[in-house]
Amino acid sequence: MNKNKSFLSRNKGILIFLAVMLVLPFIIGLFEGSNPVAVWNNQGTFSKHLEGIGIEIFILAIFALSYDLLFGVTGMMSFGHTMFFAVAAYTTGIALKSFGLPLWQVLLIIVGTSIVQAFLFSIVLPRVKGVTFTMVTLGMASMFHIIVMSSDMIKWTGADVGLQGVPKPAFIDPTIERLRFYVVALLILVLVYIFYKRFIDSPTGRVCVSIRENESRAKMLGYNTTIFKVVVMLIASFTASIAGVLHTLYQPIVSPTIADLGYTVTGLLIVLIGGIATQSGAIVGAFVIKLLDLALRGIMKDSAPLVTGVVYVIFVLFVPYGIVGSLKLGGFKIKQGWQMLLERFGLKKAMPKEE
Amino acid sequence: MTQKDIILETHNLTRYFGGLAAVDDVSIQIERNTLHAIIGPNGAGKTTLFNLISGVLKPTSGNVVYKGQDLTKLPVHRMIHMGLGRSFQITNIFPNLSAFENVRLAAQSMRGDNFKILRDPSKIEGCDDRSWDVLKQVGLFEKAMVPGRFLSHGDQRKLELGMILAPDPELLLLDEPTAGMAGEEVPELIDLIRAVQAQGSKTVLLVEHNMNVVMENADVITVMNHGKVLAEGKPAEIANNQEVQTAYLGGLYEIDVA
Ligand SMILES: Nc1ncnc2c1ncn2[C@@H]1O[C@H](COP(=O)(O)OP(=O)(O)O)[C@@H](O)[C@H]1O
Ligand SMILES: [Mg+2]
Repeated sequence: MNKNKSFLSRNKGILIFLAVMLVLPFIIGLFEGSNPVAVWNNQGTFSKHLEGIGIEIFILAIFALSYDLLFGVTGMMSFGHTMFFAVAAYTTGIALKSFGLPLWQVLLIIVGTSIVQAFLFSIVLPRVKGVTFTMVTLGMASMFHIIVMSSDMIKWTGADVGLQGVPKPAFIDPTIERLRFYVVALLILVLVYIFYKRFIDSPTGRVCVSIRENESRAKMLGYNTTIFKVVVMLIASFTASIAGVLHTLYQPIVSPTIADLGYTVTGLLIVLIGGIATQSGAIVGAFVIKLLDLALRGIMKDSAPLVTGVVYVIFVLFVPYGIVGSLKLGGFKIKQGWQMLLERFGLKKAMPKEE
Repeated sequence: MTQKDIILETHNLTRYFGGLAAVDDVSIQIERNTLHAIIGPNGAGKTTLFNLISGVLKPTSGNVVYKGQDLTKLPVHRMIHMGLGRSFQITNIFPNLSAFENVRLAAQSMRGDNFKILRDPSKIEGCDDRSWDVLKQVGLFEKAMVPGRFLSHGDQRKLELGMILAPDPELLLLDEPTAGMAGEEVPELIDLIRAVQAQGSKTVLLVEHNMNVVMENADVITVMNHGKVLAEGKPAEIANNQEVQTAYLGGLYEIDVA
């Protein structure tokens, strides 16, 4: 197995990705006639536009990675995952706008809120399983969505209009320092990815996989599975919160749609399209979803969401292991893949009873 | 005879499912360093008894004392750390993980590195070595990298046994380890269990259908029927017990033949 491999060779793929994404804005700049110095000074038009798309993709990928850790790796099918993202996004916005806090203090608060939420989701862990856990998480996230949307909260959250006019810290202001923001978001994604890879292949991560496979057996082997699930919940909550902070810092407006079930589903689709429990699948999926969305929107305007929805469903039907998963398996393995998906969604037991 | 060294005993252990007493007032003692077999027809309550001892089910009344401690108060995940391992009649493995990883996870839980979130698992002291040894022992060395779900039924039974052996427990509860295995594989596995028990000075509590196996290998036999203990004694005593004979042993031989 992967014994004694160096850091570089273990992370070759993601480091190549990092290098490519770092030079990409400059190469694109050349095509639009901006020399590298102009790109460096955020003077290119098209390169700046593409950096913006890149930032959105990186944020989606971080969010999807954290979601995959829960349901793809550990088998906890939450439908409330976007709550972590949205709470961090709104907390950041309100702290910057209404309280004028400096960014480092905002980040400390985010650490706190992510821990509190992870424990909130964890209270129900030992007692509820499968579909019940899914419904409880959905319920909690819906409650937050309702709070955000309520007109009593309009002063803080902007209700259905969204949170506008959040002051951006100057050194990372996305309109002025776009390239810097792009690099920061990219570096965070790469760090999260490397950490996730390491974690999932650690003694702790291996137990998490065994919980997904057969939790009662994992208990019999001597693992207090609840603690492992709480650890995973903490990591996933914190990661999704980081994505939420970046979202608020980047977007001109924080829309309440990010607190909606639809945003969790976006995370789910990214993982399904890229490949469950592959980590790199979350990055590939984020690229596919964002670019496809932009392309179809350009062609079809308003009917785009419907068409993309249909495209995704058909894709998942025929490529159940996703892009990266299918590449690794060297085939689509549709039947086996369906079995795997049914297991992940708790609709089928992994180990069928004999006799 | 000297004082018996009892590793595990149940006191008036009872478990109801609705109106049915699946285990009914069972008080047995398991002597350390013996192979103690439990026999009885299907539905006698053997698996339920194992579920009560291993903490999978809570008793309606009565308790289980292991090395002086009441087990019924402990959560399931504590059992193996107390030296009590249990295998399942119905294969209960991690289906998408390799045979090696199934056994490795069983070995890892004893080693206290479970929360080193940045560690390479192959660097856990002795964990991989132990897993390879166990795979050799149960005859799955060549199939170590095959996912559990793709192993043959017989190999899954061997894996199930391997997952019990890996943490090296003092007391092994084996629920029909040979269930559904091809006939020629049975003696091999029983010999292995016998060897593990004798060499490691371990105690084995074994549920087994095959009467020849039980008669040849068990030190003590407990016969169960309708949730109750019908008889207990050495193989020869059980074979000659008039009550067991007339009431029921004939039936068991029929099950064996079938
Ligand atoms: N979880 C359960 N719920 C209801 N009845 C059960 C359950 N488990 C076992 N039983 C019943 O208890 C009795 C004993 O079953 P079991 O312990 O599996 O017997 P054995 O292992 O000796 O074949 C049977 O009648 C069985 O139907
Ligand atoms: Mg049974």
